[in-house]
Formats: sequence, C-alpha cells, structure tokens
Amino acid sequence: MGSDFYQLWILPFAGIIIKICRAYTNSQEDFEDYYQEVCLQIWRSKDNFNQQSEWSTWVYRVSLNVCLTYLKKSKTGDKHIASDTLPDEVIDDSRAFSSDEINQLYNAIKHLSETDRAIILLYLEEKPYQDIADILGSNINNIGVRITRIKIKLNKFIHQEQ
Amino acid sequence: MNRTIESMWKEGFADDSHLTVPKINDLYNRKSQNIVDKLQSMFAVNIKAIMLGGFIALVVMSLIGAPLLGVYINCLLLPLILIAKKELNKSFKLSKGQSSYDYLTSFHHWLKNSIEVYARYYKIAYPMLVLGMAVQGMYSQAGGEIIALLAEKFPTDITLFGQPFYIITAVVLITAIVAKLADALYRFDLNIIYGQQFKKLAELIADMEELRK
Repeated sequence: MGSDFYQLWILPFAGIIIKICRAYTNSQEDFEDYYQEVCLQIWRSKDNFNQQSEWSTWVYRVSLNVCLTYLKKSKTGDKHIASDTLPDEVIDDSRAFSSDEINQLYNAIKHLSETDRAIILLYLEEKPYQDIADILGSNINNIGVRITRIKIKLNKFIHQEQ
Repeated sequence: MNRTIESMWKEGFADDSHLTVPKINDLYNRKSQNIVDKLQSMFAVNIKAIMLGGFIALVVMSLIGAPLLGVYINCLLLPLILIAKKELNKSFKLSKGQSSYDYLTSFHHWLKNSIEVYARYYKIAYPMLVLGMAVQGMYSQAGGEIIALLAEKFPTDITLFGQPFYIITAVVLITAIVAKLADALYRFDLNIIYGQQFKKLAELIADMEELRK
C-alpha cells in the first residue's frame, strides 16, 4: 500500500474503522487483525469508489462488509466467518478504550447480533436513518423500529451489569 | 446511571484523536482473511493444480503405456479449468463497497451458482473418468489377462464389445453408482469445509431481509 494513500485516505478515518472493528472483536489481537484487513480492503477497493457517496460512507460500508465476512482463525486452527453473537461467547475486553462508559457500552454492543451492531454503531455515529438504510441496504422504516429495540436491549444490559 | 447511550457515546468519543491506531505491519503484502479473497485464491490455486495434475497424468499414463488415457483425463480436466477461470472472473465483480445486503447476497448468489456449476461438471466428469479408466483397463495387457482368467473361471457365450457380459455389466453398474453419488459426494465434501460459513451467511442475509420488509 502506498503510504500516501494510507496517510491521506485511511488515517483521517481511522476512528470509524477502530469503532467498527472493536464492536466485532473480543481481543486486542483480533482487533488489530480486523483493522489491518479493513485498511487493506479499502485500499484494494478504492477504484470502485464512484463518488456518489461521501468517502466516509464508503469507509463505513467496506469496514462493515469486511467485519461481517472476516475469516477468523479459531483455536483449533479452522477458519470460519467470525461469529460472536452468542452472549456466552463474548469475552470482556473492558479496557479497549480509555473511557469506562465506552467500554461498558461496547461490552453491551457485543451482545447484539452482527446486523444490530452495525445499525447501532451507525446510529451512534449520528448517521441519518436514510444513510444507515443505504449502507446496510435495508428499508428506512424498519431502521427506526430496530434502533428503538436495540436501545432497549442495550439499556437493559447496561443496567443489569451495574 | 441515567445517562443515555447517545450521551455516553458522544462524550466518550468527544475527542477521536486519543484513539490508538494499531500499528500497520507490511500491509501491502498482507494476506487477506476475507472469505471472498480466500475463495478467489483457492480457485486460482485450483486452476494451477488442475493444470499440473493434467500434465502429471499425461506423463504417468504415457510411462505405463496408456497415453490415450492421459489425453482423455486432460480432456476431462479442460472444462474444469475453463469453469474455474469463469467463476473466478465472476467473483472479481463483487464489490465490498456495496450495501451490506447487496454485498452479502451477491456473494451468496455467486457461491451458490458456482457450486451448481461445479456439481453439474462433477456429475459428468466422475463417471466419465471411471468409464475411461475401465475401458483402458479392459483393453490393456494386464486387464486382458485378468479378464481371460475370469472368462476361464466363469465361461459365458454372451459378450458385449468383445468382453464377457458381466464385465461390461460391472463397469456400467460402477459408472452408474459413481454418477449417482458424484453430486452428493461433492456437496457433502463442500459442506464439511464451508458448511459453517454458508449457515452464517444465510443467517446474516435472513436478518437483513427482515430489515427490508
């Protein structure tokens, strides 16, 4: 990868990538692998960027699609698409961020399904419903309903943990 | 705590600059762990392996005095190379910049379509390979000697293509069984390797379809 591309087109959006990758990983090692994979895929797919949307939206799309289809190496050596949807599989990566509240929130987000994680991350990043629907390829009317449900789930989980 | 998740997020990430960016290690040469890329590289390796296998088959068969069988095997492998190349080219059209639903469904369609194409090929190729080997065996010197021994032990007046009928019946039966099992065997094998991925993809797509209703 040309370091110019990384410096100019990826690094300014590293925050987006970090926030997304953290939601789909349970350890620092996995997180770093996902981050590098997302950067690689953004670079590889840059020629497909058609400028009809903002670059940041493109970064969200590629990041989410990569996280959803990343082949994670399990302890047994088998490779499988990463799946951490089951609550009992979630490992507490509670010191990923400097803010305790954010770590607590992430811990709750990791208990959601992959799709719900994507929705809530985009919502918390203040993406309009239309953008969330476009990024995920869903219906805008359902996004609002789903967000309400996710927020209830998250609040319930956070209060249970306290 | 009565703070909303929105305020927790906003204040927690008020300053993105404190986020620690992971170290990038030789990103340019990094091997991708994405399922599409993995399958693409697997297809590319398969093409080379098939070509090499075909060449080895030709050399080995020529050395054991069955060059025609070597040519026959190469003829059977040729469509497989063409299929693999075609499917590989199709996969390059999958853009990771599509919406998640479009990306996952187009990937799923490509995968399903590829499996169907390969299954159709194997349904024909496996029995044809068995048939080719059987014919070569029957008309080879060693095969001829074995058949002569069998004909001596189980004499019969009924012959097909100059061979005792039961030899031809056995070949037809084995070919039919292989033809019947080829598709199931291919899918069984595929399911062992990719079953988990297929299930996971189907679940993701189903969840996203809920959002599209």
